[in-house]
This record gives sequence, structure tokens and C-alpha cells, in this order.
Amino acid sequence: MQAIVFDGVSYVYPSGVRALKDVSFTVERGELVVLMGENGSGKTTILKHLNGLLKPTSGKVFVDGLDTSKYTVAQLATHAGLVFQNAENMFFESTVWDEVAFALKNFGYSDDVVRKRVDWALRFFDLERYAGQSPFTLSGGEKKRLAFAVVLAWSPPIIALDEPTIGQDSLQKEKMLHMIRLLNTQGHTVIMASHDVEFVADLRPRIIAISSGSIVADGPADEILPDTEILRRCSLHPPQLALLMARLRDLGMPRKLVDVDTAARLLVERLRP
Amino acid sequence: MKVIEVRGLSFTYSGQDKPSLRDINFEVGEGEFVLISGPSGGGKSTLCRCINGLIPHFYEGELRGEVYVDGLPTSKTPTHILSQHVGMVFQNPQNQLFSLNVESDVAFALENLGLPREEIRDRVDEALALMGIEDLADRSPVELSGGQQQKVALASILALRPKVIMLDEPTSFLDPMSAMNLVELVDRLRRKLGLTILMVEHRIDLIAPRADRLAVIYEGQILYDGPPRDFFEKYDGHLYGVSVPKLARLSKEMARHLEWPGVILDIDEFERVVRLIAGHRL
Amino acid sequence: MSIFEGLRFRPGKSFIHRIDPRVKLSISIFILSLAAIYVDIIVLTLLISVEAFTVARAGVLRLWLRTLRGSIYLALLVFIITLVTRLLPGGPLAESLGYAVTYTYRLVVFLTSFSLFFLTTTPEEIALTLSRLRIPYEYIFAFVSAIRFTPVLADEMRSIMDAQRSRGLELDRGRLLSRVRKLIPVLIPLLVNVLRRSYELAEAMEVKCFGASKKRTYLRDLNIKPSDYAILAAAITLFATAIYLRVMGYAPLQILTGLELFNGM
Ligand SMILES: Nc1ncnc2c1ncn2[C@@H]1O[C@H](COP(=O)(O)OP(=O)(O)OP(=O)(O)O)[C@@H](O)[C@H]1O
Ligand SMILES: Nc1ncnc2c1ncn2[C@@H]1O[C@H](COP(=O)(O)OP(=O)(O)OP(=O)(O)O)[C@@H](O)[C@H]1O
Ligand SMILES: [Mg+2]
Ligand SMILES: [Mg+2]
Repeated sequence: MQAIVFDGVSYVYPSGVRALKDVSFTVERGELVVLMGENGSGKTTILKHLNGLLKPTSGKVFVDGLDTSKYTVAQLATHAGLVFQNAENMFFESTVWDEVAFALKNFGYSDDVVRKRVDWALRFFDLERYAGQSPFTLSGGEKKRLAFAVVLAWSPPIIALDEPTIGQDSLQKEKMLHMIRLLNTQGHTVIMASHDVEFVADLRPRIIAISSGSIVADGPADEILPDTEILRRCSLHPPQLALLMARLRDLGMPRKLVDVDTAARLLVERLRP
Repeated sequence: MKVIEVRGLSFTYSGQDKPSLRDINFEVGEGEFVLISGPSGGGKSTLCRCINGLIPHFYEGELRGEVYVDGLPTSKTPTHILSQHVGMVFQNPQNQLFSLNVESDVAFALENLGLPREEIRDRVDEALALMGIEDLADRSPVELSGGQQQKVALASILALRPKVIMLDEPTSFLDPMSAMNLVELVDRLRRKLGLTILMVEHRIDLIAPRADRLAVIYEGQILYDGPPRDFFEKYDGHLYGVSVPKLARLSKEMARHLEWPGVILDIDEFERVVRLIAGHRL
Repeated sequence: MSIFEGLRFRPGKSFIHRIDPRVKLSISIFILSLAAIYVDIIVLTLLISVEAFTVARAGVLRLWLRTLRGSIYLALLVFIITLVTRLLPGGPLAESLGYAVTYTYRLVVFLTSFSLFFLTTTPEEIALTLSRLRIPYEYIFAFVSAIRFTPVLADEMRSIMDAQRSRGLELDRGRLLSRVRKLIPVLIPLLVNVLRRSYELAEAMEVKCFGASKKRTYLRDLNIKPSDYAILAAAITLFATAIYLRVMGYAPLQILTGLELFNGM
């Protein structure tokens, strides 16, 4: 069964803004998908459909086989966990431990399960030593990790992340990269909104490119990221290496996305005397 | 001629036990473009606040050392005077626009200074024209995109005609194209008006090729201050919270196998070097 | 969130919109004063017709009607209180009813008298008017900020509610007490974020020289046009005439006989 199905979804905000226009795509279980597009293209709007915060104006959304129009947010949230862009500004409990336990209690898990899961989540995100502290005392990067732990604690099969790398330094980004890969290999379906091209290039996911509420392209990062035409339509620019390879095509460089090692090998082969 | 001189600067926010800046010595010459980077919490914003006088006039704490901007000692000069020498653009565009239309926002600081109306008119028109946003003059900031809002914020600072402009992570909320536009615009303004630019950013790949210098602030100290490419030559930037541009990593790889002129951050230059070597080979 | 939507001003270009805000403010005050001194159903009807006409010319009739509808409960309350306080000491039914109707009517005119001003004047013009009335800039700034940041805060609150609902918070389920408790996860982050935002705003204000000069200047100003003077002159003439008639003891209802029933005075 597919993890996510968008079938001809349009969404109009009460203010009259048409944020999504006939969007259709499916995501298989265990896939890693990144939504890319300019500011205001509709990425967040798509993510908010996954747990029913928004219901399609027309068309249908299925999450884990459930028609989102027939279920409440609380019911859908156990299937699709959504980490908001500024989730680190949404803490309210007096300790880090309680902050993580909040959702688990809402979903009605037994005390025993709550305890186990909170401890697991804090360990996974390297936050154990802060368990008894107030969330407000954490540093920026730690808060971001706590925001992940808060959702990951109930281990939703589908994980949706909205712009997780904004304002993060490179150490934090690297941690995030590892974590996303790990969750994905553990079988979670991960869908993420981002316009951080270098980060996405490292992640090498499937990319759904959107612009003004419509899908412009859908395919593997290897093909989409070097495609300047698609990127231009979504106000993105290609990752440095893709751009370099494109410029050196006459020297036999490939059209697809490459990592540093491959690029070096190809260039050295071509240039070595 | 130095527009910014920082000597032996240390600062501890009141209520904190650890200093956020420790013994900083830092100078910026007129017309320079300095990129400031480093890990989160390293002290980048704190340094900016020391330069525009928010420290010690707005934030309380223990300050040691001296900061001069355009020859003015910041600790003895009120912020509204300093603001006319060094302007500041913040990360979140929403929180630096106060008015109900763009034109009033650009005029805001000048009105606060009590300048005559004709002069405000001239300066506002000039700033809007420099940013190419004359057509937005009557729009409400709420209706603008993030990129447009940041341009308005920059225009409102340009209207004060400062010599130095500091930007603290100005592109965080912008998509890559809007970020690129903003950075290009800042660079163009620098050349046109002879401005000095200090930009705090994590997007090194975008800015390093344009910057004269990179200053890396790590745990309250200046870890590195010099040409951007030398930093990547000497350090594994990643360990210090500075994202290493892919071209820098590729350069280092190339140097292991070929005769290669060190770290290259600019893609045009990289292409030239590759073609040069390829040409020799033929 | 509909209250916030109401604050989002929709600028208009009608003749009424373009009248100088000070003139509109004066007319609103005239209407208010006349309603205060004439407890007379014909004068009140005249006043409300003037309002309805101008508001319709400005194309904001529907919004104006909404304000009218909003005042219904208060009006009803006044009606009942007046009626009861007249009837209890033994007043005749017809006369008590007359009083009640007139007082209620007057209240409605009171409440709507300023809508002419508020519905057809941009917040920015209101701010300029305030500055011309020599209101200290701090207050004007507070007013402008309220208009500027209300939609921003509304968005913020919506996104906090969305985030907490994603964590399984069900705001609209449970008993009243537990529902109130469920507001905590929304209110605390909201408060924290408002504080953080205020700090950032204050920082940006400081950098933009807020409060630097005692004599703040303004780029934009109100320009009073000849047509504005004409309208003002007409309004003053009418107003003065009405005052004069009132002082001389004339009231339309005393002139028109047969309607004493409604004469409040
Ligand atoms: N609550 C809302 N009410 C009305 N319009 C909205 C609302 N939220 C978003 N929009 C509009 O819907 C469109 C899509 O917005 P969305 O937030 O999904 O974009 P995004 O791709 O996430 O952008 P960003 O990169 O800036 O986060 C935009 O035009 C936006 O202005
Ligand atoms: N207003 C404040 N009050 C107390 N401590 C502060 C304040 N602002 C910053 N600090 C502390 O000073 C140190 C340096 O913070 P600063 O904001 O200058 O870092 P930064 O390099 O700008 O980080 P970022 O990349 O996250 O913006 C941090 O440890 C931080 O906790
Ligand atoms: Mg978004
Ligand atoms: Mg900072």
C-alpha cells in the first residue's frame, strides 16, 4: 500500500489564495521525498494535508490508506508526524522529558510505554542529559533536535519535515542528514520541504519540484538537480558541482548529479598528463 | 583607513556566567566585504551588536575593550548617531518593518531623526531607486514576499546613508534565487557607493566568492580572519561549524592528484583552471 | 479569526475616501453631538440617513450594516431598561414606548457615528490625523503597530495551534475545565514568541533611531483641498443651524403635531 496519495488536490485558503492546483503524486512506503520550490510555492500547504490540518478543497489525500477527509488530526497524526518549520518555538512544558511525553499522553499510551518511548527518543537525539531541564534553556541546535524528538517519540510511519535546515550551522546540518538517512533506512517514509540545494544534493532523495502550487517535475535528485530549466522555474539554483559539470560538459563531464569524490575522479582522469 | 576598529573586546551578557566574546581584535578597512561565519552560538550576532552600539546601549552586561566605528567610540556615542555610520539588517524581515506602507518604512528612521521633509523625500526616493523597488512604495509590508521585505529593510537602512552595512543572516528565510538576488544587490551597492559590508551568513558557497575576507567566530573568539580560500586550505571548516563549499572540497581532492593552485571558491575561476590544464595537456 | 480580518483595511478610491480625514472626523463628531442634544426621532432619522448615504457612496454599506448588526444586543438592552424604568413608576405605556424607541435609536446613531470615519479612512491617515492633533508619537506608534502586527500575531497563533494539534492536542473536545487547561500549550508559546518578537522589534527600533529627536517629522502629510473646505463649511453651517434651533427650543416634533407620542423631551 502507498504511504501517501495526492489525487487531484486543489486547496484554496479562506482568504481566497489558491495554494495548490490539481496536485497528484504518490509516495511508496520507505521512500525519501523532498518538496522543492520557491517561497510561497505551496510546500507547507502540502505537508499540512498529511495529518489533516488542511483538508483538500477538491481532490483526495490518502495517508497510510486513510482518506484524510474522514479522520481527525489526532487520528491522522499517529500515522504522519509533522515537524513544523519553527517547531522549536512551540515548547511549553517545564522539562524536556515532559515536552516529549506530551504527545504520547495525548495519544493515550500507557505510562510504561510513554516512559520507554521518551527515553528512547531522548537517547536517539542525544538529549538525555537535558531530560530534567527546561526546554527554553537549550541552545538553538538542541532545540531543533528536541523538536524532532517530540514527534519521533511516537514513531509515526510517515515523517514530514518542514525546512529543517533553516538557520542551522553545518555541524547541525550534518547531524540532521545522518538522522534522516537513519530514519529512512529504518523503514520510515520521510517527506521534507526544503530549498537548501546543497543539503538535498547530499541526501539524494526523490525530488518533487513545485512552483505556484503545481508540480513542475518529479524524479530522482540525480536528474532534477542538474536540470537548470526546472530549477529556474522554481527559483532554485543548481548545486555547485552540478553547475560545474554542466559547464564542463564539452570535456566529457556527465549530465547527472555527482558527489565530490566522483567529480574529482572524473576530472583527474580527464586532466592527468 | 579603518572604518571599524575593535580592540581587546570581551563581553558577558548580564545573567550569563560565560563571556560571549573573548578578547576580540578586529579591523575592517573602507570598502571591504567581510563574511562572518561560525557555529550557532559562537558570538556572531554579539559582535554585530558591539559594532552598532546595541552593546552597551541596549543590552546590559560586562564590556571590556574598545570599539571605534568611523572614528567614533561606540560606548560613548548614542545609537542614533552610530546608526548613521553603520546600518544593520536583521534576519527576520517581519520584525524590522513597522509601518503600513513601504515608503513610510524607508522614511521611518529619518522621521525619527527629525530631518526636514524635503530631505527625507530625496533620501527615500534615492534609497527606493537604489534597491529598484520604487513600484512597491505604496504596498503594505504584509503583502510582500520575504525577498521583497528584505529589500525594503535594506532600503530603510540605506536611507540613513551609512558607510558600513551589517547584515545578520539576511537570507535565512529566502529561497535560493531571492538569496542570490539580495547578495548580488549588496555587492553591487558596495561597488557603486563604496560601502563597507559585514555579512553574517551560513551560505558560504554563495558569498565567499564575493567576499574579501572571512572571519570565523568560534566560542567567542576569532578563530580565523583572512582570505576565504586560505581558511579552507588550512582548516576543516566543517569542524568549526562553517559549511565547506563543494568547490573547496573538490579543489583539495584535485590537489592530491594534480598540480593545482590551491582552494578555488569561484566557479568561473575553477572552470578557467580546468580548461587551462586541459589545454596544456592537448 | 474573523475579528482580525475586519481590521485588515481595504483601501478605496471613492470621493468619500478622498475627503480629508480631519473633515470626516469633524462630521462624525457633529453627528455624535447632535444625537446627544436632540432626543428627537426625526433628527435622528435625518442623521442616520446622512450616514447611510455617505457610506453607500463610499461603497462600504455592507460593512456599515455589519456594525449596525453588531450593536443589536446593546440596543435591545437599552430598549428594555428604558421601557422598564419608565413603566415602573407608572408612566403611560405609549409614552414609555416612545422613550424607549427614541433612546435606543439614539444609541444606534451614537455607535455608528464614527463608522463613517473608520470605514473610509486608512489606518495611515488615522495616524496622520492623530499626529496633526498633536498626540505624542509613542501613542501613534502603538496604534500603527497594533494594526501592523495583528495579522502577524494571528498567523502565529494559527501556526502554534496547528503544531500542537499535530501533537495530538484536541482543543475542541472534553469538558469546559479540561478545555481551558488545553489552552496552555497554545498560550505559553504564544507569550514566549510575543516576548521574543518584542525584543527583536525593540532592537530594530533602536537601530532606526526611534525616539532620537523630540521634534519628529513626517514624510507624508495631510493635504486639505478646496473641496474639503467646502464640505467642512457646509457641515459647520448645518451643525450651527441645528444648535441654534435647539437652543431656541425648536424641535421638529414640536413643529409637526400629531406625533407627540414619540417626543422624548
Ligand atoms: N494561512 C494562510 N492564509 C492564506 N494564505 C496562505 C496561508 N498560508 C499560506 N498561504 C499562501 O499560500 C501559498 C503557499 O504557501 P506555503 O506556505 O504553502 O508556501 P511554501 O512553499 O511553504 O513557502 P515557504 O518557502 O515560504 O515556506 C502562498 O501564496 C501563501 O501566501
Ligand atoms: N540577549 C542575550 N542574553 C543572554 N545571552 C545571550 C543573548 N544573546 C546571545 N547570548 C549568548 O551569547 C552567545 C553568543 O550568541 P550569539 O547570538 O552572538 O551567537 P551567533 O553566533 O549569532 O549564533 P547564531 O548563528 O545561532 O545566530 C550564546 O551563548 C548565547 O546564548
Ligand atoms: Mg513553508
Ligand atoms: Mg546570530
